[in-house]
Amino acid sequence: MSRPEVPTVVFVGQPNGGKSTLFNSLAGPKAETSNFPGTSVKHTHSRVVLDGRPLDIVDLPGTYSLCPADPAERVALTHLFSERPDLIVNVVDASTFSRGLELTLELIELGRPMVIALNMIDVAERRGVEIDAAEVERLLGVPVVPTIAAYGRGVRELVDRSFEVLDRGRPPRPPRYAADVEDVIAGIEQALPPTFPAAPNPRFVAVKLIEMAGQGCASYLGEVEPEVQAAVERGRETLARRRGAPAYEVIAAERHHQAMKLAEETGKVRHGRRLTRDKRIDAVLMHPFLGYVILAAVFLAFFFVIFRIGSPLETLLLKPFAALRSGLAARLGNGLAFYLAEGLVQGVGGGIGIVLPYFLPLLLLMAALEDSGYLARAGFLLDAFMHRIGLHGKSVSPFILGFGCNVPAIVSTRGLESRRDRVLTSILIPFIPCSARTTIVLALIAFYLGPLWAAGFYAANILVVALAGWAVSRFMTEPSPGLILEIPSLKAPRPGALLRKTGLQVLSFIRFAWPLLIGGSLVLSLLVYFRADRWINDLLAPLVVRGLGLPHELGVTLVFGFLRKELSLIMMLQALGVDYTNLLSVVSREQIVVFTVFISFFIPCLSTFVMLWKETGKKWAFVSAGLSIAVALALSWLVRLVL
Amino acid sequence: MTLLDAPAGEPLRIVDLCGGEAVRRRLLALGFHRDDLIQLDGRAILRGPLLVRNCASDTTVALGRGVARQVVVEPAHEPA
Repeated sequence: MSRPEVPTVVFVGQPNGGKSTLFNSLAGPKAETSNFPGTSVKHTHSRVVLDGRPLDIVDLPGTYSLCPADPAERVALTHLFSERPDLIVNVVDASTFSRGLELTLELIELGRPMVIALNMIDVAERRGVEIDAAEVERLLGVPVVPTIAAYGRGVRELVDRSFEVLDRGRPPRPPRYAADVEDVIAGIEQALPPTFPAAPNPRFVAVKLIEMAGQGCASYLGEVEPEVQAAVERGRETLARRRGAPAYEVIAAERHHQAMKLAEETGKVRHGRRLTRDKRIDAVLMHPFLGYVILAAVFLAFFFVIFRIGSPLETLLLKPFAALRSGLAARLGNGLAFYLAEGLVQGVGGGIGIVLPYFLPLLLLMAALEDSGYLARAGFLLDAFMHRIGLHGKSVSPFILGFGCNVPAIVSTRGLESRRDRVLTSILIPFIPCSARTTIVLALIAFYLGPLWAAGFYAANILVVALAGWAVSRFMTEPSPGLILEIPSLKAPRPGALLRKTGLQVLSFIRFAWPLLIGGSLVLSLLVYFRADRWINDLLAPLVVRGLGLPHELGVTLVFGFLRKELSLIMMLQALGVDYTNLLSVVSREQIVVFTVFISFFIPCLSTFVMLWKETGKKWAFVSAGLSIAVALALSWLVRLVL
Repeated sequence: MTLLDAPAGEPLRIVDLCGGEAVRRRLLALGFHRDDLIQLDGRAILRGPLLVRNCASDTTVALGRGVARQVVVEPAHEPA
């Protein structure tokens, strides 16, 4: 039977199960993947044509269960509830099979057509686990396809089985629980109004009501109806009384036992050779002493490699642009044409010559760090330190992602359970030097004063984050819920995935940021030509000249830093009218440091500010901006005093 | 005893999950239930988190001390 509309296929699975990797192999490189719980927090839609048939495929954020504990997981449940997918592809990590099955059982309860991708069977085999996929299929009544998404294995069969289910599949039969639980479920099912609008099926709603009543899902579960509410309360009390545990625990335990039983019946575990190599690596990575040595080494190497690749590239790439610029000056004289041409050369050259040499290696290394699973280990190691600033180890991943770009870092705080932690982490992220600021630090401080100065800058920066966190958390009285963080298995990052991820980000740089850089340079050219830059500079002179001790011309560049931080760097050269290599002829080393410090801190860039507003609200976005300005002024003044 | 006082590297059985509902729900979702066999794989310095492995699903989580204090365990005998 073929439907007139395009069927929707939804990918659901627990975090780190390779769900996004599998999704990508079908969708093309549109969803980003990473190896940290909660990094793909937005859901990704993609229209694809497979075997000549159009499909809407959706990658939902990884979720441990359908009882959401954080906003990212809530996305998964609300989507499943409101969208009524035509097919659910449940991606189960074979190496953690018995736990993954608990989500599978919940999904089966939804009563939608379903296929299971038993993914990462290679990792499972390395761990000494063998799973009889055919037996799982027989017991669950759901097609099971073993896959290794990373190498594209099993994907073909998964597509075939998916179409089979789409065409003539019946929804699977929901699992049955113990008799007393079934009684309670039936009681609530009967209390549900027959025309309940959002219900995928009454049984699922009844089970979810038992588990989730009072957990903020009232509106779409229909909990608001007084009769339903009374029935749910009665049912929950009955279960709690009979079993001596809260109702949600009873359901969780029922599901857990079924999953364990199923895993035992279908899996063989060969003890003795369970992942000895990975375990030994982990013992070193999370060693109480060596772990920290490695962590420090990883970070030092990170920036050292970026600088070692970036700075010679930068010198090399800027040469032709400098030549072009002097050639233009000789040919075009001093008219408007020259100013516009100069702005164009500065904007284009700045993007290629200054930004990309540092941006590219940083993206590649960041992607490798993310995919390897190291971020979770860093979270484990740094948890104790994070407690000093009112947070815990789960915020380490958003912070480290912030070194790439603050915007996705703020989005990734959706993986944190409490609002307090999300807000605190989000308003601290703008203090993390993102790739744009790293470019400025490496291109100015490391290039002109030496890499050690840059290292000092980063150390001071981390201290600033810590102090700001400590200070802000004084005002947040609500306690943090404490750390529960999964440590996913280590994965060797695959070059293909790294390149794809980096390529995506470079593409978005070329599409959005670079035009902004070129446009900004052109605007500056016009301002200079019409002598309008003076007004802005005069206006800012008290701050720029008297406060920071910087040249008068730099005032206008600070204003544009709000759009993109690199823009200030490129405009700085243009405003001072010098080439990159002879910058020191017009400013001193101290002024370079002051400029960098001020630009780095003075305000979150526009996109970061917008994201902060969206995720934490207006109040906290302004608190963060205010905090940034205060810190920038204080630090720049301090640097001026010291140097 | 709680997980905080448990010996490392030996099989343990979860006797009870205490603490607030949010913490218990999170532990259940991550596959840590009453009667499960777990093992303490390591402790971070400076009163940092504990590394806990679930023997059945072979998953590892880092638990902060506040959370670990809520997990009551007893030594379990290795299954033959």
